Amino acid sequence: MFRLPCSPSRVAVVPKARHIAVPKARRVITGVVACAAVVLGAAACSGGGTAQDTAVGNGSSFVAGSYSTTVFKPGSRPAAPAVSAKTLTGTNWQLSADRGHVVVLNFWGSWCTPCREEAPALGALAQHFSADGVRFVGIDIRDDPASAQAFMRKFRISYPSLNDPNDQIALDFHGTAPPAGIPTTLVIDQSGRIAARVIGKASYNGLKALIAQVSAGHS
Amino acid sequence: MTGRAAPEKVTRDQAAPEESPAPDDVLLDTGDQAPPRPVAGARLGVAGWLRWGWRQLTSMRTALILLFLLAVGSVPGSLLPQQGINPAGVSDYYATHRLLAPVLGHLSLFNVFGAPWYAAIYLLLFASLVGCVLPRTVRMALTARQPPPRAPRHVSRLPFSVSYTTALAPEAALESASRLLSGRRFRLRTGPGWVSAEKGYLRDAGNLLFHIALLGVLVSIGLGGLFGYKANRLLVEGTSFSNTVTALDEFHPGRLVSPGDLQPFSVTLNRFRASYVTSGILTGQPAAFDAAISYTATPQARARSYTLSVNHPLKVDGVRVFLIGHGFAPTFRVTDGTGHVVFSGPVPFIPVETSGLTSDGAIKVPDADPEQLGFAGVFLPTAVDVNGQLESAFPAPLHPVVSLVSYAGNLGMNSGPSQSVFSLDTAGLHRLPVAPRPLAVGQSMKLPNGLGTLTYTGYRQWISLAITYDPGQMPALISGIAVLAGLLLSFLVRRRRVFVRATAGEGGGTVVEAGGLTRSDAAGGFEDEFAGLAAELRRQHQDGPGAPGPGDVRAPTDSPVASQEAAPTGSSVASQEAAPTGSSVASQEAIPTDSSLASTEGE
Repeated sequence: MFRLPCSPSRVAVVPKARHIAVPKARRVITGVVACAAVVLGAAACSGGGTAQDTAVGNGSSFVAGSYSTTVFKPGSRPAAPAVSAKTLTGTNWQLSADRGHVVVLNFWGSWCTPCREEAPALGALAQHFSADGVRFVGIDIRDDPASAQAFMRKFRISYPSLNDPNDQIALDFHGTAPPAGIPTTLVIDQSGRIAARVIGKASYNGLKALIAQVSAGHS
Repeated sequence: MTGRAAPEKVTRDQAAPEESPAPDDVLLDTGDQAPPRPVAGARLGVAGWLRWGWRQLTSMRTALILLFLLAVGSVPGSLLPQQGINPAGVSDYYATHRLLAPVLGHLSLFNVFGAPWYAAIYLLLFASLVGCVLPRTVRMALTARQPPPRAPRHVSRLPFSVSYTTALAPEAALESASRLLSGRRFRLRTGPGWVSAEKGYLRDAGNLLFHIALLGVLVSIGLGGLFGYKANRLLVEGTSFSNTVTALDEFHPGRLVSPGDLQPFSVTLNRFRASYVTSGILTGQPAAFDAAISYTATPQARARSYTLSVNHPLKVDGVRVFLIGHGFAPTFRVTDGTGHVVFSGPVPFIPVETSGLTSDGAIKVPDADPEQLGFAGVFLPTAVDVNGQLESAFPAPLHPVVSLVSYAGNLGMNSGPSQSVFSLDTAGLHRLPVAPRPLAVGQSMKLPNGLGTLTYTGYRQWISLAITYDPGQMPALISGIAVLAGLLLSFLVRRRRVFVRATAGEGGGTVVEAGGLTRSDAAGGFEDEFAGLAAELRRQHQDGPGAPGPGDVRAPTDSPVASQEAAPTGSSVASQEAAPTGSSVASQEAIPTDSSLASTEGE
């Protein structure tokens, strides 16, 4: 056991009174100043959100996905919510009607660069898996229907897309595996459970392997 | 003579060898001593260095230095564009400062608030403050529960003292003193021949409250940083959004926030109204902004109406939604070369000046055939011609006009980094030979080479919303108030100690000595309190059973002048207002000098 040079015996030599009369008051004041400064400093650090006067500071103006894939094991797949909406062409669509099929839900927008990048792969995969009964559905976010339909013509997307002007469908997935950026792709298994979530641009091979895995896992 | 020297004398006196081993100091030491510092050159083990380091870290000086560093460290955050807030600005900076930018980038100066060195500063600061406040709090708590110290041997040497004789027996005199003191809510401690009393513990309670509340402030701020989030969203009239990550323009989550944690409310903007001053020198200045919205707190909840205005946020599910900006979103319809409508809707334009709300914006039509189309231009709410130049004279839409430059080619949206929706990247575009004619609502612009037509169909307004969730806010407010309350208590309340000794006098009767003490730097008022207390005590002792004999004032042992030559009738007039009976109210200064008339002036 070591002993500090300033062991209690040393302290006793120092007249205690000296510590009391003045320095204590000074320390209290220093403490007050420091605490006030800390509070102010912290307020300055955290007050950025409301102080921002530009309407749209971020140039890209949407929350881009951070490229991550989550695969849920068959036992721990969260149940997909009931999704019911109109497609861009005005027909009603329900997720529950596709029970028994693997459903690939793709959140996209015609204005979003990674969505445009992944669109050819999604279109090709929809063709590839159509014989296996895999259903593809897009969910068009923050878009006008005219642009969305032009997009689908341009990329020859044959599967339907749902119109979701107030983000209701994204909200429906709250508490399950919510889309955490645009694009987000969800793979839903035959029993209506979320088997995988891809945030960010999906690659042809990566998504193909996922769909094949979910498809095979049940049948 | 200073207040500093005075208590020292008492201390020395008290530490005299004949004194019983009293752990307490007579003085009002609240147990708060500076940590002793190691002497240079002394040997320290590893643990010693650790302890030394911890003491340095938790010293107030280190905390102040860290605080200063925190402030200095955030300076580049406001001078340089930041990745999270302005990624385009960062790219620009890299383009214009080819040599400097990578160096700054390595130092995380484009992401200051997420930089490791910045985190190091605030974590050290946090550790320093907690390390400083926690032990103090414990010490304070112990002090607040301490009983009064033993009475010093020479009560009459205290800053305030009085002595007289009474016919009562010592025990009875002490008994009555105890009653008096406890009646005045003093905390008592008794011993053989003495009573010791202390009051003003609220001071320590205040001190304790201050320290605990300070920790509360720190924890609250931490809570906000971990579980809070901030987001922005631009919302056009007639449209809705839900509080989900995909619907937000910007999202700054706390460390432990995941997308599923966002409160699932939805907001629809029904109508936005900005009113402006229309006469006088303030013409064009905004008078009021009101956004009529409807919202649902959860998908199942009933829709409610609300009027958002500046500093009048919507509070829903603990989240506050502020109105922070507004502007115009002209609506367009674009038909491409094949005759398809390839775009139809509002396009938010961003105000570039406030007096006329002239706004910049871009329309991108990536799926037009045969070529992608882009338009960039301005929206003028009240267009006027000033020397051949179009300007906006008023921020309200009195004569809303757009003026656009048309482009065709590659918008750069099919691959590469995400781009701003408010400006065109013209690198892959070629400008179409169309004169930028100002368009009024309903007018169209035909593009050359059969590329299509653009129609300006109208305009809507948009608002920008700041969405903030800070679970630490209310705790921080409460802690802040408690900090102030504790501080006030500890500044306004004084610890006062009163000691009474009663001993059998040589000539019969009992000599009662009473002394009082308070913190010298806050003594104003105690003199009167003590004088009143002493007078009351003496009155009780004289009125008590047994006829009061003539007071016999005994001088303090080592200051024979204090009252020895006072009136032989047993009345030593020690204070300014001549106490008519045998009482000597002497102050500290009186003892070493030969005057018993001194008071505590100069303190």
